[in-house]
Amino acid sequence: MSSFAPPSPTAETPVDGRHHVESMLMRESLLDKRVMSATETPVVPMLPFCRVLKVGGRSIVDRGKSATYPLVDAIVAALANFKLVIATGGGIRSRHVTSIGMDLGLPTGVLAQLRIIDALGNAHLPGTLLAQHGVVAIPPEILGHMLPFFIKAAPAVICNGDPPFSIWEHPPRVGRIPPHRTDAGSFLLAECYGCANHTLIKDVDGLYEADPKTDPKAAFIKDITVTELKARKLPTLPFDRVLADLLACARQVKQFQIINGLKPHLLVPALRGEHVGTIVRKDAAD
Amino acid sequence: MDNEALNRMTMALMGASPTDEAQMGLLDTQPVIQILPDANVIKIGGQSFIDRGRAAVFPLIEEIVENLPRHKMIIGTGAGTRARHAYSVGLDLGMPTGVLSVLGFFVSIQNAKIIHYLLAKHGIPSVEPAQFAQLPLYLAERQAVVSVGMPPYAYWQPNPEIGRIPPHRTDAGCYLISEVLGTRSMIYVKDEEGLYTADPKKDRNAKFIPKITVDELERLDLADVVLEHTVFQLMRNAKNRRSIQVINGLKRGNLTRALDGEHVGTIITA
Repeated sequence: MSSFAPPSPTAETPVDGRHHVESMLMRESLLDKRVMSATETPVVPMLPFCRVLKVGGRSIVDRGKSATYPLVDAIVAALANFKLVIATGGGIRSRHVTSIGMDLGLPTGVLAQLRIIDALGNAHLPGTLLAQHGVVAIPPEILGHMLPFFIKAAPAVICNGDPPFSIWEHPPRVGRIPPHRTDAGSFLLAECYGCANHTLIKDVDGLYEADPKTDPKAAFIKDITVTELKARKLPTLPFDRVLADLLACARQVKQFQIINGLKPHLLVPALRGEHVGTIVRKDAAD
Repeated sequence: MDNEALNRMTMALMGASPTDEAQMGLLDTQPVIQILPDANVIKIGGQSFIDRGRAAVFPLIEEIVENLPRHKMIIGTGAGTRARHAYSVGLDLGMPTGVLSVLGFFVSIQNAKIIHYLLAKHGIPSVEPAQFAQLPLYLAERQAVVSVGMPPYAYWQPNPEIGRIPPHRTDAGCYLISEVLGTRSMIYVKDEEGLYTADPKKDRNAKFIPKITVDELERLDLADVVLEHTVFQLMRNAKNRRSIQVINGLKRGNLTRALDGEHVGTIITA
């Protein structure tokens, strides 16, 4: 390591007035594409035995007992064999606070901050129902690096699905709704931790060519790659649109599955990796 | 908006899929407010500025203090050479992008603390993300506040397309603060005049670009650019902040002129 004194002028270390610490990336611009290619190295999976579930807010929790209890029963049955990270969506209240916020002229980042609170509220609902199994909602500010500790202590943990982007959320291409919502946040968590799989639990069987709730004749899509998904330009998706971009850059979790949470018997097969809904895949490497 | 219209919008949001971009665009009828329209966001480079030590930092601190009576400033900090070291070790150990993001955040926090202590006698506080609710008070009372530049994405940092370095670092973090708060300017303080066709430290033939649009920049497809690529992507979708300026903070007076709205470096617009 160099001292705080300016480096001596040798061929390797020209004086540029900056006090560098010697490293592979020393003096390199992290904005240089050639330098970036050199940083593509294998990743260590932190929690390869964990599975991440995202439980829909509007699609499951907001339906109340009729949808939530059977799904919670299925989760309880799965706890014996699987370590689960259960992320929740904000549902109807997120949409309400978004509409009030948009009317008041609040920017995307503020809407993202407000929406996190609804998803966190929803995390406490399954948290209460699963309490007797030692499964609780973890506050987001300690979830990140503490997750391996919690998951060793309990069969599952619950968190809000939103990423902690808050006021740092990206403005979307169109409109003002935060693009990284709970599907995206739970996927990012699964990817960083190198979890075994990522399942989105919704109230439809998976992806359709159109919203099956408004178009009963819409054709079901059982399997699709990111490139095919983007090419089809579907008007609505049963997951956050940004998820396709995140999956395209995935290094560890190279697919996710959408399953129907109103058919809770599908949960365990999905956790095992069986194809029981729609699987969206990262394109095969060239 | 009257109650009925608001109810209609809520119902539309409840019924509609937020993945339906066209519909979400139609619902977005009100202009975005500017939360802190009088504030300026200044990002002090890590490698390009703070790592130069006293010779570069002290004159800039003096210039910031001189501007306190006239300008409100949110001062974000870059990470610099220690982040490069942490990223290098982390890459070698197989750390994912999210963990590298945490490491970069820590170095940016160190630099924020350094700048904070140099400004402390002027009553300038420093905030971490959890304290952002206090930021308007600090600005109203003391005219400036120091903030960590890195966005707090931590383990949720999206992967880059190429390699493993977090794509949203301190340039993007400071940019997003200026965008969400609707500030009057976003100024990047670096050790070069602004944007060049190549890294002027490595290529003597690099040409200076005083003004450019994000589209033009994309077409040039430069191997190395002065700011994180993600900033340009974000600018395209921005509601408030469609222009930024990169200035050479080693030249005394440049910051003051940039705060006064003058063109002293490279202005990039979307």
